[in-house]
This record gives sequence, structure tokens and C-alpha cells, in this order.
Amino acid sequence: MKILLVEDHAELAQSIVTYLTQEHYLCEVATTFDEAREKLILFTYDCVLLDIMLPDGNGINLLKLLRKDGVESSVIIISAQNALDFKLTGLSEGADDYIIKPFPLPELHARIKAIMRRRSPHKNNVLTFEDLTADLDSMECRVKGKLLNLTRKEINLLLYFINNKGRMLTRQAIAAHLWGDYTDNLDSVDFVYQHVKNLRKKITDAGGKDYISTVYGLGYKLNAAT
Amino acid sequence: MKLNHRYTLAYAVISLFVLSIGFAIVYAALSRSVTQTTIGKLRHLNSVVTAQLRSGRDYSRHPARTHVRIRVGAPTDTLRHPSLVEVRDEWDATLQSMVRTVRLTTYPVVAGKHYHVTSKAVVVEPSDEYLTGIVLVFAWTFVFLLALVVILSEVISWRILKPFNAILQGIQRFQLNQKTTMALQPSRTTEFNALNEFLLKMTSRAQSDYQGLKEFSENASHELQTPIASMKAKIELLMDSDLTEKQLLMLTAMHDELERLAKINHSLTLLAKLENFESHPAARTDLSLLVPATEAAFADLAEMKNLRTTLHITPGVVVALDESLAQLLLNNLFSNAIRHNLPGGEILVELTATELHLQNTGYAPTVPVEELFGRFKKGNAALDSIGIGLAIVRRISELYGHRIDYTYAEGWHRIRVVFA
Repeated sequence: MKILLVEDHAELAQSIVTYLTQEHYLCEVATTFDEAREKLILFTYDCVLLDIMLPDGNGINLLKLLRKDGVESSVIIISAQNALDFKLTGLSEGADDYIIKPFPLPELHARIKAIMRRRSPHKNNVLTFEDLTADLDSMECRVKGKLLNLTRKEINLLLYFINNKGRMLTRQAIAAHLWGDYTDNLDSVDFVYQHVKNLRKKITDAGGKDYISTVYGLGYKLNAAT
Repeated sequence: MKLNHRYTLAYAVISLFVLSIGFAIVYAALSRSVTQTTIGKLRHLNSVVTAQLRSGRDYSRHPARTHVRIRVGAPTDTLRHPSLVEVRDEWDATLQSMVRTVRLTTYPVVAGKHYHVTSKAVVVEPSDEYLTGIVLVFAWTFVFLLALVVILSEVISWRILKPFNAILQGIQRFQLNQKTTMALQPSRTTEFNALNEFLLKMTSRAQSDYQGLKEFSENASHELQTPIASMKAKIELLMDSDLTEKQLLMLTAMHDELERLAKINHSLTLLAKLENFESHPAARTDLSLLVPATEAAFADLAEMKNLRTTLHITPGVVVALDESLAQLLLNNLFSNAIRHNLPGGEILVELTATELHLQNTGYAPTVPVEELFGRFKKGNAALDSIGIGLAIVRRISELYGHRIDYTYAEGWHRIRVVFA
């Protein structure tokens, strides 16, 4: 998986690269419009993470160039603007997804995964973790082959955990992932707690191990049972 | 009432007043002069009669004697009255009506005899016919004067007030968020020029302030997001390294604060955007679909708080609202209704063709409800909200001319949006 990150803020770019490298992506950085264009002409990337505010040009124009030249890469726009702006101005045209700064890194990762899956429908669309399986087409989750009766939100949550296995996920990141824009005004912490509790109970009731552990009451982690 | 109409009215009243006084003067002068003329004629008659007496001939058949009576009086009379004028209304047998009669008595001494020569004449009073004539003259004068005043005031005021009207139009067309200055024409009137100058100064100041503020808020919020994102990413990376519990707690606190900062920033940017948002008059949204959809999106959140939600939706309610703004408005309202609710509380949503009602149970707000539409106002300080949602809701409503109000009564918070 090759990813091109187009971001002029060096520190942020560094953090994203570090994180994605840990997740076994090949990650390159372009800090300017020109550099990004050059790289896109020379190399092929599976996914482009595109900040639209660049010092020497607008990322949207880069996106248009890409699409005109028939570059097939998936594009996720990174923007400091509101989601509403995107909806109102139709900026996201030609992009597969957009993510608003500041975003939790696991969220970025989850979005990349989702896009990659959409691009390659013939790939094995079953995620596994230990004895948990999640079929992305039928949206069925099983423990040791036994079907779990999960709500949509719980399935979503489980996928998020599997995608970010071994990482600590803060409650905020989970809430942002599950409810997106709706969390602006809510005490998401309690809601996340409820959902995680239900999910853990359903897994253990079905005979699975309790893979999800609480980290000091700050967040959660999906770990292989020790 | 227009300015020049007020002037016209004032002039009309003044000229009516002046004309009335003029009329009184004319009337008095006329009646006086008629009497004076008659007296003059009588004096002449008396002197003719006196001359006749002096001549010693018999003039008793003379036509001059018809209206003259001659008596011989006491010798002392002359000293007191050189002549006597009496003006009285008397019954006139020949005219069969009361008439004003003037009598003049002179006391000539002819051949040592003291005579009383009294002549009389009927004075034509300038009443009735005369009066009507005079009144008509004045009335017509008044009418012409009035017409002239009206026409002239229109013309003159149009000329004089032209710069003023231009200023008014300029003010009406003036918009703070546009970069164009007010188009004002110079005039020969000092006051208007002063007003022009003042307005130009004021508006350009306001515009530059506004622009500065706008740019500041846009840049500030926009440029802040990236560093916040960077910090958050770094903290997240740190969290995955080996840390003590204390360090983790600190990191989490930092993370939470950053999250909050980002939210405030987003909300403020959004508000600033909405302030300058050009609403498309054509934008329409079907709330009958959107309200239940939003409710469904929040259903699991409401469920976790054990809230009972009741919807009464009239089908086919389409109102003037941009779709994404409508979504934002509903999100804010629903999340508020959940957030500020009591565990096991209720939410009532009612959508009619003219109104949207959203009610929820909850504690009484600690500040007056009208203030909750302000920025960073929280009805309940215990909750970790930013307190900007209602400001956004109100702004969105205003954009499309919908009215919004908030009441609290008997444990129910009630938000009402009345569609324009």
C-alpha cells in the first residue's frame, strides 16, 4: 500500500507518517503543490491524502489535475474547514472522502482502510482478529464461527477496533468515529462506555475472550488475549 | 408624513391665519370708510343748507331739504358741540327693514339764531352680499396661495432635498460586507455636505473594521486547526508508547482540551461563515423527511439515556432552508434535547405546516432563556458543552427569515421555529 501525503505542516506530516508506517503503509510526503504534482506524475499511489491549503496552490486544483490526467488513486481530502463548507461548496468533488482537522489518527486509518476496500471489491472482505471474524459484505460478525447479534453501531465499533488493533483508542476518537458530526454537543464519553460494554458482553456471552481492555478509564485497546 | 408635506401644512396654516387677519382688517376698514364717506357727504349737505339759511331765501322746496331737519335751539349749545355724529340702526319705513342710519347735526349761527341742522342718510353695511364677495376674494386668494405653496414646495423640496434623498438611498443600499463605498453626491447645502462626509467616514470605518474582523476570524480559526491537529496526532502517538498512568492521564487531559479547542474553533468559524452566508432564496428542504431521519440518527443516543421520543410529523412540509444548514439546525436541536435532558426523560417533536416544536424535559435553566441564544451561554454550567449551538441555530433561522423562540415552563424546555 503506497500512500502520498500532501501536507505543508511538517510536524503534522511527520506524525501521520509515523503512525501510518507503524500500520505498515509505505508513506511519502510532499509539502508543496509542485512537489505533489511531480510525484503523482512519476509514481503511482494507492491513496493520496491531500491537504487543500497549500502554500503554492489549492489542493482542489491538484485534485482536478489528477482526475483530468486519469490518475486512479483514491483521494482523501484533509481540510481545516468545516464539514458544512464541503457540503455547501461541493469541494469534495472528485475526492473519495474528506476528513476535518483535527482528526484522530485511528480515524484516518479507518478511512483509508474503508476506501481501499471499496476500490478492491474482489479482495477477501473478511477481517479477522484471533477468533473474531467480520464479514464486510454481509456485515456479519462471528466468534468461533458463531454469529453475534450486533447493532449497526456495535459492528462499526468492532471494525474500528480490529482496524486499529493494539492501539489505544480514546473515547473521543471512538465517539467521533461512531457519530461523526453529531457528537459536537454530547457527552460522548458515557455513550462510548455503554457501547463498548455491550460489545464486550456480547462477545464474551458468545464464548469469545474479552479482547477489549480498558486503559485507565481513558480509552480502550483491542489486544490478543494474554 | 414627508418632510415637505409638513412644511406645506405649516405654510397653509400660517397663510390661513394671515389671510383671516387680513380679512378682518379689510372688513373693518371697509365698513369704517363707508360711514366716513357718508358723513363727509352729510357735512357737505349741511354746509349747503347752512349757506341756504345764510342767504335768507326760502329753500324749503329744495331737494336738499328732504333729509334735513332744521330747529332753532338754545344759544348755549354751540359751545359744546361744533357738530354731532350719531350712527344707529333704525327701522326704515321705506325699505321696511332695519338699516344703519347716520345723523349729522351742525349748529350754525345765522343772523344771531342758533340753528340745529340735522341731516341723515342710510349707510349700506358691507354685510351679507358684500361680505360674501370679500370672503370669496379671500378664499380664492387662499386657494391659489395654497396651490402655489404645494406645487412650489414639491419642486423646491425636490431640488433642495435631492442630496438628502440620495443619502437615504445610499444608506439603504449600503451593505457592510461589501467593499463598495457609499455613492454620495456633493451638494451646495452645508448640512448635507457635513452629513455626507460624516456618513462616508463612518461607513468606511465600519467596513474596514468589519473586513479586518472577518479576515481575522477566518484566518485565525483556519490556521489554528493545523497546529491543533498536529498536537493531537503527537499525543496519540505518545499514548501508544510505554507510559505511566500519571503521564497517560495528563496526556488525555491535554487531548481533551485540544478537542475542545478544536470544537470551539469550528463553531466560531461556522458562525462567522453563517454571518456572511448568502442564502439562496431557492433552497428548500423537506423537513417531513429530514426531521424523522435526524431523530433516527440520534435514536441510540436517546436510548442510552432512556429517553422517550414522540414524533408528530405532518407530511410534505417543505420550507426555505438549505439542506445542509437544515441538517445542522436539527442536529443542534436534537443533541441539545438529549444533552440537557434528565435520565428517563421525554422528547416531543411536532412538525406542522407552519411550525416546528421541539420540547424536552430538563432542569430549569440558570440564566434567562433569551440569553441562551448568545454565544458561550450555558443553561447548565455543569455540562461540558461549548454553548454555541443555539447561536448557530438562531443564525440559520434568521438567514431564511424563520422566527425562533425558546421558553421554559413546568419542567419542559420548548423551542419553536415559526416558518417564514
